[in-house]
Amino acid sequence: MTSSLNHDPYISLSKITKGYKISGDDVPIFSNLDLEIPGGDFVAIMGPSGSGKSTLLNMLAGIDRPDTGSLRIGTSRLDQMSEAARASWRAHFMGIIFQFYNLLPMLNVAENVELPLLLKPLSAKERRSRVEKVLDLVGLTGRARQYPKLMSGGQQQRVGIARAIVSDPALLLCDEPTGDLDRKSADEVLEMLRFLNRELGKTIIMVTHDPQAALYAKRTLHLDKGNFVEERRAAL
Amino acid sequence: MSSHIRQSFVMTRANIFSLPRRVSISLSMVLSVALVVCVLAGFLSMAKGFETALQSAGSPSVAVLLGGGTNQETGSDIPASVIRTLEAKTDDIGVARHDDGSLILSREIVVTVDVKPVGADAGRTIALRGMDAAGSSIRDNVHVSDGRLFASGTREIVVGDRFARELGLLVGETIRLGTVDWLVVGRFSAQGSAFESEIWADLDAVRSAFDRQGQVQSLRLRLAEATSLPLLQSQLSTITTTPLIAVSEADLYAAQSGRTASLIRLFGWPLALLMAIGATAGALNTMMNSVSDRTVEIATVRALGFSRLSAFMGTWIEAILLAAIGVACGLTISWLAFNGWQASTIGANNARMAFQLVVTGDVMLIAGMLGLAIGVIGGALPAIAATRLPLATALRSRG
Repeated sequence: MTSSLNHDPYISLSKITKGYKISGDDVPIFSNLDLEIPGGDFVAIMGPSGSGKSTLLNMLAGIDRPDTGSLRIGTSRLDQMSEAARASWRAHFMGIIFQFYNLLPMLNVAENVELPLLLKPLSAKERRSRVEKVLDLVGLTGRARQYPKLMSGGQQQRVGIARAIVSDPALLLCDEPTGDLDRKSADEVLEMLRFLNRELGKTIIMVTHDPQAALYAKRTLHLDKGNFVEERRAAL
Repeated sequence: MSSHIRQSFVMTRANIFSLPRRVSISLSMVLSVALVVCVLAGFLSMAKGFETALQSAGSPSVAVLLGGGTNQETGSDIPASVIRTLEAKTDDIGVARHDDGSLILSREIVVTVDVKPVGADAGRTIALRGMDAAGSSIRDNVHVSDGRLFASGTREIVVGDRFARELGLLVGETIRLGTVDWLVVGRFSAQGSAFESEIWADLDAVRSAFDRQGQVQSLRLRLAEATSLPLLQSQLSTITTTPLIAVSEADLYAAQSGRTASLIRLFGWPLALLMAIGATAGALNTMMNSVSDRTVEIATVRALGFSRLSAFMGTWIEAILLAAIGVACGLTISWLAFNGWQASTIGANNARMAFQLVVTGDVMLIAGMLGLAIGVIGGALPAIAATRLPLATALRSRG
């Protein structure tokens, strides 16, 4: 299935095949998967367990590689890059938001948020300034010295979002970002993602099981057995 | 600071700060490294102390003449004719002379005697050395620390400081050596060397008390210069009545110390290495546990773009730091427990020789290096494992 908005595709998957060996047997996940996502889109990907959502997200994050086919994001061909190059690409062009926040408990909020900036040639002052700005943006002003375990789930996810956007990546990948949150906190987080998409122009791809979360996206793609079977566009 | 160094620093810091989550197993690694360091430092300090005691006893300016084809005082015999021949030589034979032209030498014999320390159940076998009056002055770095030297022809003794302390002997006391009583008239210090493990007395008094009339086991000769030994040896080669060996006192004791110190090390090193292998396995287990405990954290920062190298360095440096703490503990314990500890063994002449364990800089360096090697080797495999964590699986886990 090929989808696009009015823009040139920012993400382009063409004839992707991917499978795993489980107990010696080849288990195919994708065969000839095509997908195009323009820059500035906010896409929710839904589907039952085993449909390939996580595999797709891992390939988009450069954590996993397709067996065959082409995977381009921006001008980078992720399918042709080495693992080290993909790690470097992640550091510069992408932010990840995790279901369980994945904050380092021994680091405080500012130190957690600062992590991606350590991969860039920035001075300590510049890093501090960027961390302060992004904490303001996610509503955590004054919480820089606090440790994650003292914060609510919603607050921790906001730290996770701050960490994902602190290096100003064009692409945000969200893996069940509200899966561990109550409804109120989930809505706050989703509002924030919508803000990042609409106001800051971030391209967001969000894997979710939650239909209400998917409503915040501009469009929702349904995956089943390695194929996109349905597309729903949000009312403008 | 380069990005790789910053990444490694952050990973290491995160690892160190998470240590309280696995305090028991980390502590066990520290203790096992400390134990290995203690054992090796113990053996090495023993060997070092033994060497120091013997080597500091030997002077390159003193020659020891042995007869009868042996290179130890036990079994050596120097006929009176040899001594007369040497004393009759008026030309330069490499030996220093008194103002009256006589050679500066001391005829000596060593007998082993049993001495029972105050309050002890068992006796100690000690070397009683009979010597001429010049005997103590020929030896370097020896001085009377209490009382006076023995007088010629009397049953008087002076006791080395180390044994005097151990036996509780005081100046003015009488002790029985062999079948006769001897009066302690003095104590001597030899800067902790092997001499302090001896009792000295007049040669004739010892020969008389132990039925060794006329016997001389060794001659100690003050060389004119430290380089005069070859001249003396060439002079001795003209004497054919008995095989004679002249060695410098330094070489004599170095040879004795080398054999025993090697033996101590021969026991110490395999034991320490075996323990080190066990400790390395322990370190491996500890660090694997650390990697397992931090799977999500490592995978998270790798997903953010941190390099494999930083994941490796973080784990590896943690292992080395834990080993370094173990080394510091082990060396501190070794220093407190072993340094200056008095020990004794059966030395030359089958007599007890006391020495002091010394935890020197090189002992600490060698033991410390072995301890650090445990961290370096034991941490390497888990560090590699940390770089190979499947990111996708790790990221789906609850942190």
